[in-house]
Amino acid sequence: MLRLLRTTSFRFTLIYVLLFSGAVAILGGYVYQATFGAAAKQTDEIIAGEISVLTELFASNGPNSLGRVIRQRTAWRDDGLYMLIVAPPGAVREGNLTALPPEALQAGESFFDFNYERSLLDAAGREIGIEAREARGRITRLKSSPESSSWYVLLVARDVAGREGLRERSQSVIFRSALATIVLGLVIGLLFSRSLLRRVEAVNQTARAIRGGDLSQRIPLSGGGDELDHLATSLNVMLDQIERLMTGMREVSDNIAHDLRSPLTRIQNRLTIALEDDAGAKEQALRATLEDTERMLATFNALLSIARIESGEGAGAMEPVDLVAIAQEMAELYEPAAQEAGLSLVLSVGPTPLVTGSRALISQAIANLLDNALKYAAGASRIEIKVESAAGGGAILSVSDDGAGVPDSDRERILQRFVRLEESRSTTGSGLGLSLVAAIAHAHNADLSFGDGSTTGFEIVLQFPPSERD
Amino acid sequence: MRILVIEDDEEAAAYLARNLRGAGHSVDHALDGDAGLKMASAGNYDAYVIDRMLPKLDGVSLLARRREENDETPALFLSALGEVDDRVAGLKAGGDDYLVKPYAFPELLARVEALGRRRGPANVTTRFGVGDLELDIISRTVRRGGKKIDLQPREFRLLEYLMRHAEQVVTRTMLLENVWEYHFDPQTNVIDVHISRLRSKIDKEFDKPLLQTIRGAGYTISDAD
Repeated sequence: MLRLLRTTSFRFTLIYVLLFSGAVAILGGYVYQATFGAAAKQTDEIIAGEISVLTELFASNGPNSLGRVIRQRTAWRDDGLYMLIVAPPGAVREGNLTALPPEALQAGESFFDFNYERSLLDAAGREIGIEAREARGRITRLKSSPESSSWYVLLVARDVAGREGLRERSQSVIFRSALATIVLGLVIGLLFSRSLLRRVEAVNQTARAIRGGDLSQRIPLSGGGDELDHLATSLNVMLDQIERLMTGMREVSDNIAHDLRSPLTRIQNRLTIALEDDAGAKEQALRATLEDTERMLATFNALLSIARIESGEGAGAMEPVDLVAIAQEMAELYEPAAQEAGLSLVLSVGPTPLVTGSRALISQAIANLLDNALKYAAGASRIEIKVESAAGGGAILSVSDDGAGVPDSDRERILQRFVRLEESRSTTGSGLGLSLVAAIAHAHNADLSFGDGSTTGFEIVLQFPPSERD
Repeated sequence: MRILVIEDDEEAAAYLARNLRGAGHSVDHALDGDAGLKMASAGNYDAYVIDRMLPKLDGVSLLARRREENDETPALFLSALGEVDDRVAGLKAGGDDYLVKPYAFPELLARVEALGRRRGPANVTTRFGVGDLELDIISRTVRRGGKKIDLQPREFRLLEYLMRHAEQVVTRTMLLENVWEYHFDPQTNVIDVHISRLRSKIDKEFDKPLLQTIRGAGYTISDAD
């Protein structure tokens, strides 16, 4: 619970609730003033008006006339208006109240509130009880003549019981809504914070699992596609990349250990024998050793290149490049070698958009594919380099041969580092050529596939995405 | 040639010096950037071989300082960093060539010797001759013994490069870099086949072969016996 209160979202909620409650209070106060304040003012104006009319009447026509008017005006008692005229020395002369309320004398000539009792009548006019009511009124003192020393007291009042009740109810409604706003806001804030906290916790859990060594963990998505999902998605993509690099690294170190052990063992054996043997054998051993070390260095170079390309370094500047031009140059470079090997090298190019890439890397990839075709395509008579535009934008580059091909079951495997198929064990090669092609494809966001089987032999297809400038 | 080797790996430096001396050059070597800069300023060398990563002062900065002093001595960078960007950075700093470790010594020797030749008026020559073989860059013609030989554009460039470096060893990688402008090691014999095609055009019908294969290193075009 304490954690929940400390969450950012809860703090935001709290601030929001405070601001909102403040706004509700201000609004409530305004509404209250606009309604009840105005009503109270109106009551006072009515009373004052009545008093001034009655005072004038008293002044012009005297107490008897005033008494008559009051009697007539109070004949209906249900309009909530009360009048009372008290003649000196204190007897009620006329009116619909039994006596002056005690508060009247203290209030002087200002408005005052008082309670009074009123009989409850049934529909037929029979009295069925008494109720206590509230009223507001004002008195004024009148003299029958300027020289007279005795005062008449006139009270005009208005029943305000209904209004008072309404006011109390309104006040309580305003108070309760403010309270409800606060409570509801806090509850919703807590719920929000909790769901947010739960999702952040999911990220945390994933991070903990990964710290613990399980690189396959991914942050679950809520599926709502909100910004947290976006964040989780990009974190997951990052994790994919890290996992791929880690897996690659592990594979590489395993493979290096495995693949370099045999030449090292060979070298060791050879040197041991050479130490005991005659000069001729020594020279032969040294030459063979030199060859082995050269091959090992080439392997390391290739590994380094792959690693650097995969890590995104070493690609050089990516710029718009023309696959057709590169393919033409590579075809020109390899054509004599192909011819010597008894193969025809066919180049077929169509109009192709530029792609974003590195000329050096793409030519390296083509070179590796052509090298492979020359070395491994058993029974092939023709190698084809094809460049064409892709259906959804971008460009397709493929290198194919009509040789024996590679069994489906081995296809994915040959992209891995150091994998060399049994048939090719007798030839030289590091088993890194296609891995490098795969790394280069990856650096270009190009899809690498094995062709659609339309050629009898082996085909590698690189589909480059459209250049970002298009 | 007087060659200054600036390389912090003592064993590698000693190996380089010994082999370069074995090839008939005189060699000094420095083990860090500061010492290298001092020696370069003091001495009069025909070529520098500079490791990119050096203690005290890195190779690229070292050469940049020499170039500021108008020292135009050709320089070859050695580096464990072989990618395009590194190469570009090295060449921008005033390097004339770039070789990635590990390298074969014949490759380095061929490149250093090519650098030494680069200086001087040979650069503006438009006609080259080796024995009775002549190449004219302006008219783009090749003749041997007065007889015109037709070459494809790429064959012409290949021969031009070889003749610019006549009597020197030119490696397959140097050819791929300079004639095709590609920086990778082909696993197959692509360059050899181009050479043998060229050879069939310029040497086949003549008594004396000029384009020779140097085992374990590369090719040379030479009139020598």
